[in-house]
Amino acid sequence: MAGLELKSLRKSYGNVEVIKGVDLSIEHGEFVVFVGPSGCGKSTLLRMIAGLEDITGGEFYIAGKLCNDVEPRDRGIAMVFQSYALYPHMTVYDNVGFGLKLAKTPKGVRDKKIRDAARILQMEHLLVRKPSQLSGGQRQRVAIGRAIVRQPEVFLFDEPLSNLDAALRVDTRMEIAKLHADLGATMVYVTHDQVEAMTLADKIVVLSAGEVQQVGAPIELYQRPANLFVAGFIGSPKMNFAEVVVDAVGPGTVTVRSKDLPLATIPADTTGVAVGDAMTLGVRPHAIISGGQGSLVGVVALVERLGNETNVSLTLPSGVSWLVVLDGDHSLSAGQTLALTFAPDAAILFDAQGRALHPLLPS
Amino acid sequence: MSLLRNYWLSAVAIVVSAVVFLVPFSFIILMAFKDKTQAQLLDFSWPQGMHLWTNIVEVVTTRNWMLLTAFINSTILTVASVTLVVIFSAMVGFVLQRRKTRFNGLIEFLILAGLMLPPAVVPTIWLLQGLGLFGKLHGLVLVEVAYSLPFSILLYRAFIATIPRDLDEAAIIDGARPFDVFFRIILPLLWPVTVTNIVVQSVAIFNDFTNPLYYLPGNANATVQLTLYNFQSQFSTSYNLLFTNIALITIPPLIVFLFFNRQIVAGMTAGAVKG
Repeated sequence: MAGLELKSLRKSYGNVEVIKGVDLSIEHGEFVVFVGPSGCGKSTLLRMIAGLEDITGGEFYIAGKLCNDVEPRDRGIAMVFQSYALYPHMTVYDNVGFGLKLAKTPKGVRDKKIRDAARILQMEHLLVRKPSQLSGGQRQRVAIGRAIVRQPEVFLFDEPLSNLDAALRVDTRMEIAKLHADLGATMVYVTHDQVEAMTLADKIVVLSAGEVQQVGAPIELYQRPANLFVAGFIGSPKMNFAEVVVDAVGPGTVTVRSKDLPLATIPADTTGVAVGDAMTLGVRPHAIISGGQGSLVGVVALVERLGNETNVSLTLPSGVSWLVVLDGDHSLSAGQTLALTFAPDAAILFDAQGRALHPLLPS
Repeated sequence: MSLLRNYWLSAVAIVVSAVVFLVPFSFIILMAFKDKTQAQLLDFSWPQGMHLWTNIVEVVTTRNWMLLTAFINSTILTVASVTLVVIFSAMVGFVLQRRKTRFNGLIEFLILAGLMLPPAVVPTIWLLQGLGLFGKLHGLVLVEVAYSLPFSILLYRAFIATIPRDLDEAAIIDGARPFDVFFRIILPLLWPVTVTNIVVQSVAIFNDFTNPLYYLPGNANATVQLTLYNFQSQFSTSYNLLFTNIALITIPPLIVFLFFNRQIVAGMTAGAVKG
């Protein structure tokens, strides 16, 4: 059993603070994905868990044991690097067995473990090769093999798929998901790719500028983002935002208006909302539908026809550009005026501090 | 004629390098075949008669087989010094490149100082005498190591910078202690630059004349280069023997170079492409 517990973990380089107090608890067997824009500290956080970076402040526990100053080799972890980091002068067999050799595992046991790992990853025929004779996908497989052979409690992945081509990425992603199901170990995975995050994770941690923005199940993050950052970061294409002013507050609804949309009544948490407040309205591109006399009128700036759907870039009266994904094929041309609409409960209101005002869930 | 026009510069270069490299070498060989009277003339003439074998026998047996002792001494000196230089300079280069501390600037200055400052013979002898290492082979080994370290460290540090740090970290995660990281991961990957180092340093140390002359006096301690010196004083006019001796002691560095030459080229191309 190896859950991870991060308590106000901090990291600074000189005066620059890169991790600003992260609290996080990861259950045993969970697949946790750290996402965030580049430079948000997600890799640094992973390296702190691995023990490759010193922890400046806070406490870090593995399976209830304080591990701030424990050497990486004693943490019961394995890590897969973005660059694979295979030892170029060793064969695949020796690469996979290196950790066992250092641990002075008897030769027979070592051989069996290496061959088991190779069988799981279907790379038995590669064992005699050197890393330079392998393709990118095979190298990635060896790197994963090197991790599983040591039977760690916790797997750490640092953007493992970003050096692979698109098709291979999908395959390897599925393999990692399968591996997680088979081994049942705790996995922590860093990526900037939302599709990887959404498909693999039990729990996503969204980081920005060294702070946790939100922790939750993928679909929860998509449907109920905690703030503007998460709303804008999760989901592709990005959520559209518009500046609005509160016109009226009803029971469980807020009516807002702006230059772009005449009046819209959005279900929201009305606590503390007053008429005249400035807010931000967010609508996902897929939630917008073409409707005869829609509340949203704009000029088409760009059309991308993909056959099954049509991406339209729309310029609203205030000059803001919104992206709309319409189902099916639509023959539109730039410069044309388009009227659209969206369901009020598909929109999310954010207050001036960027916090989402989700309608309270029926309890 | 177009052939001449296109290639005349190459032809000139070939001729010049042939003259520069082959003429002295053939002069040595020719002299080694001559007898004492003909060698006296110091000219570029064909040897009259075959005197190579008698010359060799005389050179080797002179002064109670001194040349053999010298070969043994030189081999021990070269192998010990080069081994220590390779291990120590790779270690220093590794730590210097990987760990950034505020002392790095000072250490780099000291290394450069070691490269630039001329060796001070008398204080070094005084120090060696104080340590009881003067006139001892292992004392000279330490002197050679000290003189060779700065250059080797610079070579290694530049090369280690091209080894991704991810490899160190992967090894650390795999459970490697610092010495494991160095000896099992880094040192094997340094092979191309190690070969370069072995060739350069072993030839330099084997051919070193002044340091053994200063720090290793005594006939029992002679190194191969010092046997030349002895010859010149003993048979000041026996050029045939002197050149036979030169020819004999040129052979080991030549073998080292021929043996590692292939590996230097192979190593360079292996490291060049991302793999």
